[in-house]
Amino acid sequence: MNQEILIALTVGVPPLAGFGCLILNNKIARRVIVGLTSLILIGSSLLLYNSGGLHYEPAPIFEILVLVFDLILLTYFLYTGFKYKNILVIGLSILQLFPVLYFEFILHGAEVTPLIIIDNLSLLMSLIISIIGSLVVIYALSYMDEHEEHLHLHGSRQNRFFFFMLLLLGAMNGLVFSNSLYWLYFFWEITTLCSYELIRHDGTEIAIKNSLTALWMNLVGGVAFVAALFIGQLYFHTIAIDKILKLSPNPIVLMLFASLAFAAFTKSAQFPFNKWLQGAMVAPTPVNASLDSGTMVNAGIYLILKIAPPLSNTALGYSIALIGAFTFLISAFLALNERVSKGILAYSTIGNLGLITMCVGINTPLSYTAALTLLVFHSISKGLLFLCVGVVENRVQSTLIEDWEGLLRRLPATSLIMIVAMMSMFLPPFGMLLGKWVAIDALTSSYYISSMLIILIIVLGSAATSVYYIKWLAYLTVLPMDGEKYGNEKVTWPYSISMLSLFGLIVTLGAGISSILNLIILPTLPEDYYSNISLTLLNVDTGVGSFVTYPIWILTIIIIMSGYFIAKKKGGVIKPPYLSGENVADDPTGFRSTADGIVKIETSAQFFEQEYNNDRLIEIAKIIGSIIMMLLFFAVMF
Amino acid sequence: MAENNILNIVLPVILVLFAPILGGFIMGIDRKLTARMQSRMGPPLIQPFYDVIKLWGKQPFISSSIQPILAFGYFAFSLTSFALLAFGQDLLLIIFTVAIADLCLIVASLNSKSPYSVLGGKRELISMMSYEPILLLMAISIYYVTGSFMVQRILSLNYPLLTYLPLVFLALIPVLIIDLKKSPYDVSASAHAHQELVRGVFTEFSGYTLALVELGHWTKIVLMLSLVTLFWATPIIIGIFLALILFFVVLVIDNVYPRLNWKSMLKTTWSVGVLLIIANIVGLISRVVMRI
Repeated sequence: MNQEILIALTVGVPPLAGFGCLILNNKIARRVIVGLTSLILIGSSLLLYNSGGLHYEPAPIFEILVLVFDLILLTYFLYTGFKYKNILVIGLSILQLFPVLYFEFILHGAEVTPLIIIDNLSLLMSLIISIIGSLVVIYALSYMDEHEEHLHLHGSRQNRFFFFMLLLLGAMNGLVFSNSLYWLYFFWEITTLCSYELIRHDGTEIAIKNSLTALWMNLVGGVAFVAALFIGQLYFHTIAIDKILKLSPNPIVLMLFASLAFAAFTKSAQFPFNKWLQGAMVAPTPVNASLDSGTMVNAGIYLILKIAPPLSNTALGYSIALIGAFTFLISAFLALNERVSKGILAYSTIGNLGLITMCVGINTPLSYTAALTLLVFHSISKGLLFLCVGVVENRVQSTLIEDWEGLLRRLPATSLIMIVAMMSMFLPPFGMLLGKWVAIDALTSSYYISSMLIILIIVLGSAATSVYYIKWLAYLTVLPMDGEKYGNEKVTWPYSISMLSLFGLIVTLGAGISSILNLIILPTLPEDYYSNISLTLLNVDTGVGSFVTYPIWILTIIIIMSGYFIAKKKGGVIKPPYLSGENVADDPTGFRSTADGIVKIETSAQFFEQEYNNDRLIEIAKIIGSIIMMLLFFAVMF
Repeated sequence: MAENNILNIVLPVILVLFAPILGGFIMGIDRKLTARMQSRMGPPLIQPFYDVIKLWGKQPFISSSIQPILAFGYFAFSLTSFALLAFGQDLLLIIFTVAIADLCLIVASLNSKSPYSVLGGKRELISMMSYEPILLLMAISIYYVTGSFMVQRILSLNYPLLTYLPLVFLALIPVLIIDLKKSPYDVSASAHAHQELVRGVFTEFSGYTLALVELGHWTKIVLMLSLVTLFWATPIIIGIFLALILFFVVLVIDNVYPRLNWKSMLKTTWSVGVLLIIANIVGLISRVVMRI
């Protein structure tokens, strides 16, 4: 098929379909529209991926449209600022609105040809956005029905929800295809708008407060973007990304990259900009699933992946790595003390984005490979985890992991998928661990003496990561005392399609990791990056170590099967646990103590609240994070 | 060459098959030596095997239906990890695979509602958090000497690692103490029931599940001691001797010190352990720089 049509389908169809959902606010129309859009989006992104990279010049009318919509958007942000009397939003919108006017009408921003360049990185990103994003929107069809049922709304507000969800997908695809910094900035601002509107969707006081936090933090990134536009225009007379990347590094070019990296960090929620992603957890769960896995945060990662090649062996690159590593460490410790399920996932997202950022900052072919591997597998696993959490939340009516005791018995299918998804985040033989393993190989072989500090951070952080996932995972398997079940699992088709597809992706892509590396990840490396990864039949070999792939998968399956076989063969009577005395016959939570008095037992999960306090840790992390962010701009001089 | 190839495959397979048995003998030696240190006679050397065989035949009681699978997982993944080592594979991968074994034990103990078992499971979790970074850093410091994470490379060195990494070797002592479940860091459960009546993380295992967990523990000990032998891998006999010395040191420490709480365990490994390794790596780098 014609590639131009494919571009139009991936970027144009989602907003139009969203518009359709906005007008036709009824259940059946929504299902038809979302179903068709997903098919088109997934199909066209796959076809586009298959047809390879291209340069494309859209019709001139689009340039005018982008400008008009951009000005409307900025005015809307300004209006929002006045409406909620939020001085930060007002200030940051003005800081963008007038410079953009000046840029367009007085400087007459430089012509960019071609406006669209699609390279392998864009194609990979588009694939992630389209597949995972679409599955999340499908999932939302069922979720939002249940959600509104719980809220007892009069009249559905789902039309605006699906409009922004779909608009986000289109904007993300546009973002990764743009070659003009100004277009990139425009799509960037649309994702900001979508996140703001989606976070405040429920309209509660806390939702509005958190959405404004998200808005101003993302607008900070927007301002940094405008600064980058001006540097490009005034010093180099170009805002074409392909040309900017070819400039020979000097402090001013590096300043431009530092601004872009800064903008990227606001999107990918690195410290001290972590707060908005954390606050976003008040939104309906599909929003989190979309923002944290396939879309929004990946915009930030895409941008630093894009600007990485010229930054190799610069102090700027090293500062980027430091920010990522620092975020990884702190978020792991924050997650250790977090009781809310979505909160843990949010910290885990921030941490993994930190890990990816770190890899990009180190900027060797090997670490770039690690970054891409982590990006792909993190998107899938995190998306699936959020989807599972959403299902459970609607059934259990609690977000605290301690209330999810014994979920494996109560919601067996969902819990089993969730447990596998959790294990895929930190254990071999899954893809995420392979990514982390490549990252450690890349770090140790990078020969920065200072990379020792980062290695230490990663090692400690990953220990904490294992702990919070195992803790949570164990909680799901606890034998419930009361034996109560949450009814049978009502499986609607949007749930099963989205969750089973992602589950299938985790397993198949994880098992076929060698092929994935070979076919998708290695071709995505920038031009002059020669990764010395060799893929033999059984191993992924990085030159300094080798990761056994298929044998471990086969062994894992054999172990699970023989474990099951032994359990079946030997069997055994399930006995109540040892408490501290005689068990009480009809009360499994009590035992007889002195003088036959009944004592109730209570157990809790492991938290470290006496050792450190999350609020205090966040305060400290913000200060250190801000200092490292400032280092970013000092680093351009070296 | 062909002979060599066969040896390369047959020898690791034999090692893997005999690892649990070797672990049983090590446990037997442990009990004998500990008894002597406490002026007792101690059980016969093969007492651990009698125990496990008897446990296997006991009437099965389980705490939940997934407990047996997890107990087997603990054993099987420990063995997988040892197999990776025996075949000379990647050190990092070996350490990550041990994490699956740990996960099995921890989840098995946390999924029962017994407070003892839950407490043991939580402490096992912290034990894991304490020693995993040290092992990873050990692998990384070995990389700084050999330029590879592969065990094969270590086995083909013509100099002992110990001369380059003496401090890393010292940092392994707390790791061994934790993994052997010895005082002062036997927070999750004591290897010998000399300080407790209810055995923490093992509370809810009985009969064949306990036998499986015991086998897993033996295998894991063999794995950890094998990591120690890597510090003098050529000739390997010195490495084995080194491992036995370290094992004896751990037994002495076990009999001298009372149990400390988990906080001091975490603090020691994350501060002293990490600092020892960093000092060692800095020393290595400065040695290279001086040579240039």
